[in-house]
Amino acid sequence: MSEIWVLVDKAQDTVRNVTYEVLSAASKLKEKNGATVCAVYVGDNSGAIEADLGKYGAEKFYKIENPALKDFNPSLYAAALSEVIKKHNPDIVLGGNTLQNQDFLPRVASRTAAGLCLDAIDVDMSSSSTLQVKRYKYSGKSIATISFHDVKPMIATVRLNAFKPTEGSASAEVVSESVDLPSDENYKVIETKIIPKERPELTEADKIVSGGRGMANGENFKVVYDLADSLGAGAGASRAAVDSGWVPYEMQVGQTGKVVSPNLYVAVGISGSVQHYAGMGSSKVIVAINKDPDAPIFQKCDYGICGDLFDVLPALTDEIKKLG
Amino acid sequence: MKILVIVRQTPDTEAKIQANSSGNGIQTDDIKWILNPFDEFAVEEAVQIKEKTGAEVVVLTVGAERSVDAIRTSLAMGGDSGVHIKDDSFADMDSFALGKVIGSKIKSLGDIDLILAGKKWIDEESSQVPIQVAEELDIPQATLATKVEVDEGSKTVKVTSVIEGGEEIRELKLPAVVTVEQGINEPRYASLPGIMKAKKKPCEEVGVDGINSDEIGIAADALGSAGSRVKTDNIEIPTISRSLKVLEGNDVQQASAELAKLLREEAKII
Ligand SMILES: Cc1cc2nc3c(=O)[nH]c(=O)nc-3n(C[C@H](O)[C@H](O)[C@H](O)COP(=O)(O)OP(=O)(O)OC[C@H]3O[C@@H](n4cnc5c(N)ncnc54)[C@H](O)[C@@H]3O)c2cc1C
Ligand SMILES: Nc1ncnc2c1ncn2[C@@H]1O[C@H](COP(=O)(O)O)[C@@H](O)[C@H]1O
Repeated sequence: MSEIWVLVDKAQDTVRNVTYEVLSAASKLKEKNGATVCAVYVGDNSGAIEADLGKYGAEKFYKIENPALKDFNPSLYAAALSEVIKKHNPDIVLGGNTLQNQDFLPRVASRTAAGLCLDAIDVDMSSSSTLQVKRYKYSGKSIATISFHDVKPMIATVRLNAFKPTEGSASAEVVSESVDLPSDENYKVIETKIIPKERPELTEADKIVSGGRGMANGENFKVVYDLADSLGAGAGASRAAVDSGWVPYEMQVGQTGKVVSPNLYVAVGISGSVQHYAGMGSSKVIVAINKDPDAPIFQKCDYGICGDLFDVLPALTDEIKKLG
Repeated sequence: MKILVIVRQTPDTEAKIQANSSGNGIQTDDIKWILNPFDEFAVEEAVQIKEKTGAEVVVLTVGAERSVDAIRTSLAMGGDSGVHIKDDSFADMDSFALGKVIGSKIKSLGDIDLILAGKKWIDEESSQVPIQVAEELDIPQATLATKVEVDEGSKTVKVTSVIEGGEEIRELKLPAVVTVEQGINEPRYASLPGIMKAKKKPCEEVGVDGINSDEIGIAADALGSAGSRVKTDNIEIPTISRSLKVLEGNDVQQASAELAKLLREEAKII
C-alpha cells in the first residue's frame, strides 16, 4: 500500500504545531489516493510522541534515530532520510517549510531521484498519482500550480499556517529504522544560540503589526510593539525602516524580506509600495494607518484610518485592550 | 584562492507580472531585468574577501542572452571574470536540473574553493539551486549566512547562519557552498569606471556542448524542461479585491473604537 510521509518537527520535548498542519495536508491527499499517512522523525531521540501524532492522523510512525543526528547537519540528515525512503518507497513526502527542511530536502531530492517543491500553500492530487502544489511565484505577485513529472517520491514543504490541524483518531504503529551514518569531517557545529523572542516569529504569526518610514525613528517603534502586544501579534517593518537602521533586518516584510500571510496585517506609516505588498498582499485582512489620504496602501486594504499614527496607535491599542 | 559566485537575472522588483499566452510563464517583453537583489550580497561578500585575501572572483550564471548583464554588473562591482552558460536547451529547467548543469561546469573549472550564492531567487524562489550544486559536488553547505570568515591556512570557512529561533556557528571544510542572508553587508554600487572596466573583463560563453552531460547523468537531448522533475502548469495573478473601508481620523478615539469593532464583528479577526 502506498504511503504519504510527514516529517516531524520537534522543539525540545514537544511536537511543533506545523507537524499537525502538515498531517492535515496529508490527510487531504489520503482522501484522493487512499495512502497510509505516516509520521517520520529524523534526529537523535524522538521521545514518546506517537500518541500525539496519532491524534492528528498518523497511522504509522517511522523513527529514524541515530546519535550522529543530534546536531542538525544537512548531509547527514539527507543521508538518513534518503536511505529509509529508498527502503520503503513512499509516494509523497511532506514537511513544514521550516529552515531546517529547506536546508536538507534538496539533497534528499537529489539522492532519491525525487521531485521537490518548496513552500506550498495548497496540495492536491490531479489523478490518484500526481501531486499538484500551489505556491507563490514572484513573491505575492502570482500563484503557480506546479506538478511533478513521473518521479517518486514527490516531495513538498508546506507553508506554516496554510493548513489547520485536524484531529483524527489513528493510533500510530511505531517502526524503528536504524541507519548507518559516517562521521562528517566536513561540517562541524561550533555553537548554537537560541535567542529568546518577545513576539511571535513573523512567518508563523497569526497577526502582524508593521511600521514604516512614518515611524521617524527606532524609539517610536514602541507604539507598534504596544499595539502588537495588545493583539498578541508579531512586529514587522518596511524596508525603509530597516534601511534607516531603526529595526533589524529580520523584521523586514516584502519581496526582499519575509513573505507573510497572517490573518491580520496592520501597516503603520507604510505607503504600500509594490515590493512591500509582494510580501504581505496575501494576508487575509489588511489594515492601514496613514496620514496621507492618497497613500497607495489605501487602495489595497480592507480597513484603514487616515490620521497621524502617533495619535491613532495609542487610541487603537486602548480600544483593543477594552475589547479584551 | 578562487571564489565562484552564482548569480541570476530577475525581473525588476517594480515589474508588473502578467501571465504569458500559454499561461504557464510570464510575459517578458516589456520587463526590465536586474541582478537578483539577494545575489548582490553574495557578490559583495566575494569582493570583500578578495580585498582581504587577494582571492580571484569568478561569476557564473545560467540564462538567456540578456542575462550576461547580471555578470557585467557583478564584474563592475569587482568580480574578475564571468562564465555564461547560455544555450537555449537550458531554458525552463527546474532547480534540480540547474544544480546538475552548474555543478558539472564547476567540476570542469577545477580549483574552486568557495561558492557563494544568494539566499533565493526573488521570482521562482525555489531556494534550492545552491544546495543542489553542493550535493552535485558532494561538498558541505551552510545557508543564510550573516557572517563568513575564510581561513586559508586550515582551508575552512566559519559561517554564522540564521536558524529557527536564533543562530548557529558552523565550520565547513573548503570547498563549500555558502548562501548569504540579506544585510550581511552593504553591496556597493557599480561605479562608472567599474562599469567601463567590466566591459573588458573576460567572460566565457558556454553552450550545450560545453557541458559534460554524461557526467551529470542527463542526456543532452533531455536538458531543459525534459531534465526537470517538476513543471509549472499554470500561473494566476491574484486580483486585489479589498473592501477599502477607510475611516477619517479627525476624532481618533472614535475612529479607533469603530475600527476595533469592525475587526471584531465584521472581519471576526480579533
Ligand atoms: C530591489 C528592491 C527591493 C525592495 N524590497 C522591499 C521589501 O522587501 N520590503 C519593503 O518594504 N520595501 C522594499 N523595497 C522598497 C520599496 O520600494 C519602498 O521604498 C518601501 O517599501 C517604502 O517604505 P515605507 O512605505 O515605509 O516608506 P514610504 O514610502 O516613505 O512611506 C511612508 C508612509 O508613512 C506615512 N506617514 C509618515 N508619517 C506619518 C505619521 N506621522 N502618521 C501616519 N502616517 C505617516 C506617509 O504618508 C507615507 O505613506 C524594495 C525596493 C527595491 C528597489
Ligand atoms: N540560473 C542560475 N544561474 C546561476 N545561479 C543561479 C541560477 N538560479 C539560481 N541561482 C543561484 O541560486 C540562488 C538561489 O536561487 P533559487 O534556488 O532559484 O531560489 C540564487 O540567488 C543564485 O545565487
